[in-house]
Amino acid sequence: MPDDSSNVGPTPLRYSVKGKRMRFFDSQGVDELVSICMGLAQEMWVIKERQAALESIAAKKGVVLPDDVEGYVFSDDERTTLDTERQGFIDRVFFTLREEAESLAAEPEDEPPAPSMP
Amino acid sequence: MTDYVDHDMKVSHTKDESSRQHFVQGMRGYVLNDLAGHMKTVWERKVEPSFEKVNGRAPADGPEVHKTFKPETIFKFYSSMRCNTQEMVWRSVMPAVEREGEDLSRRAQVLSQAGDKASGTVATDPNFSVPRYVSELDVHLMPGNYHEERFDHDVTQGAVFDNGLGVFSFGLLGNRMQDITDSVSTYFQARYPDVKPEKVLDLGCSLGHSTLPWKDRYPDAEIHGIDVGGPCVRYAHARAQSYGITSHFHQMDAEHTDFEDDTFDVVYSCMFLHEVPNKNIKGVFKEAHRILKPGGVMIHYELPPNSMMSAYDGFYLDWDAYYNKEPFYKAFRDADAKAEIAEAGFKKDSFFEHVAPSKNLYGEDALLEAVNNKDATNNSNVGRFGDGVMWYFFGARK
Repeated sequence: MPDDSSNVGPTPLRYSVKGKRMRFFDSQGVDELVSICMGLAQEMWVIKERQAALESIAAKKGVVLPDDVEGYVFSDDERTTLDTERQGFIDRVFFTLREEAESLAAEPEDEPPAPSMP
Repeated sequence: MTDYVDHDMKVSHTKDESSRQHFVQGMRGYVLNDLAGHMKTVWERKVEPSFEKVNGRAPADGPEVHKTFKPETIFKFYSSMRCNTQEMVWRSVMPAVEREGEDLSRRAQVLSQAGDKASGTVATDPNFSVPRYVSELDVHLMPGNYHEERFDHDVTQGAVFDNGLGVFSFGLLGNRMQDITDSVSTYFQARYPDVKPEKVLDLGCSLGHSTLPWKDRYPDAEIHGIDVGGPCVRYAHARAQSYGITSHFHQMDAEHTDFEDDTFDVVYSCMFLHEVPNKNIKGVFKEAHRILKPGGVMIHYELPPNSMMSAYDGFYLDWDAYYNKEPFYKAFRDADAKAEIAEAGFKKDSFFEHVAPSKNLYGEDALLEAVNNKDATNNSNVGRFGDGVMWYFFGARK
């Protein structure tokens, strides 16, 4: 790209938090993996919403144009349905995090032990 | 447009950006309700009983709960996911703000100069020195904090905070994110009908969302807001002008303002003190005393002190001090504000503290009913979004 300093805009916005980063896990890389999983879940949700818009438009018009999806505004009912589905989506992706609490709440005192490890 | 940002400084998000915001809102609901609930179950059913078995007593306070709970997987995931969600709040709105940054700055200047709907003023200081406790931090994990500027008349950080707060609060702060001050000022007006302010000042006002409700309560009063962030006061003024509410914003430090002695009838702050180190809070109280008229009232909305809650709730609220770049929050909640206020010269025995039910959630009637009931109560929903929302505030008279 040609260098044209007269077109240079403001310094790009800084997206990373400055200073010490919070860490919670002892094993190296697990904090980063949590961030990556959440980023992936978020991007997957973006696709789900786009897909939902496509389906609604297709149903209504029978024809889908790129601008239709970009400009499509969910009705209040559609938004409510999506909000409910989104909570189910998050609950499924992060299911493992509720397992310990539910297992404890079920009071599993009498679980027969597994055979001793070889 | 971001939900709850409905004024002339709003930005346009792409469909995918809006979907990312919806996801973050859902994720916040999940972390703060579901995951926090699972975490409490694990605490009550496993970790606390095991602590009591070993020590013969319950954990004494928040730090002991924190220390005991820290190795648990559920705590690590709750904390890690809450930090990630917090960062995702800002990142979900930043691309649109960055795209429109220079245009937002122009729009702010036009709104500030337009006198058709409101006639407020804004003053920034090119030589202003931002206090170190602000300049060295990205408070709330928000890149750029309240004050960073990349070009003249920059309002970026005001816009990031406004749009981010819209995502963050998911409607619980009301359609103009005014609920805390709306509730507190309504409660205050009903409880202290003798106070008829002519001049009100909001300290650390950021977007002005805590400044403007005072104009609804006292329409004849002159309303001022100060903040150390230049982008915030510019943005706050443009936002107020867009809403047609005359108010005056200044880039000033609450510890060292330029106001004359005996200027204000009410000096207020909302969610401000916990971001200030205790030694500077003492300075803020002294400065408030100086600029208040005799008989004037100082009021602070805040998270309730640790002395008002259980060890677990104290741990839960103090989480932010350790992991959300709000390092002064715990020391503030551990301190005795009443003693510090007396030391700053306020009238002895004039200290008050109240809990106002959210007007947005419960309605004005319930709020006014609470005025006649008991004062501050021990309630784990105080100051937090949850099944119930109550706002704690305290203050004193000069």
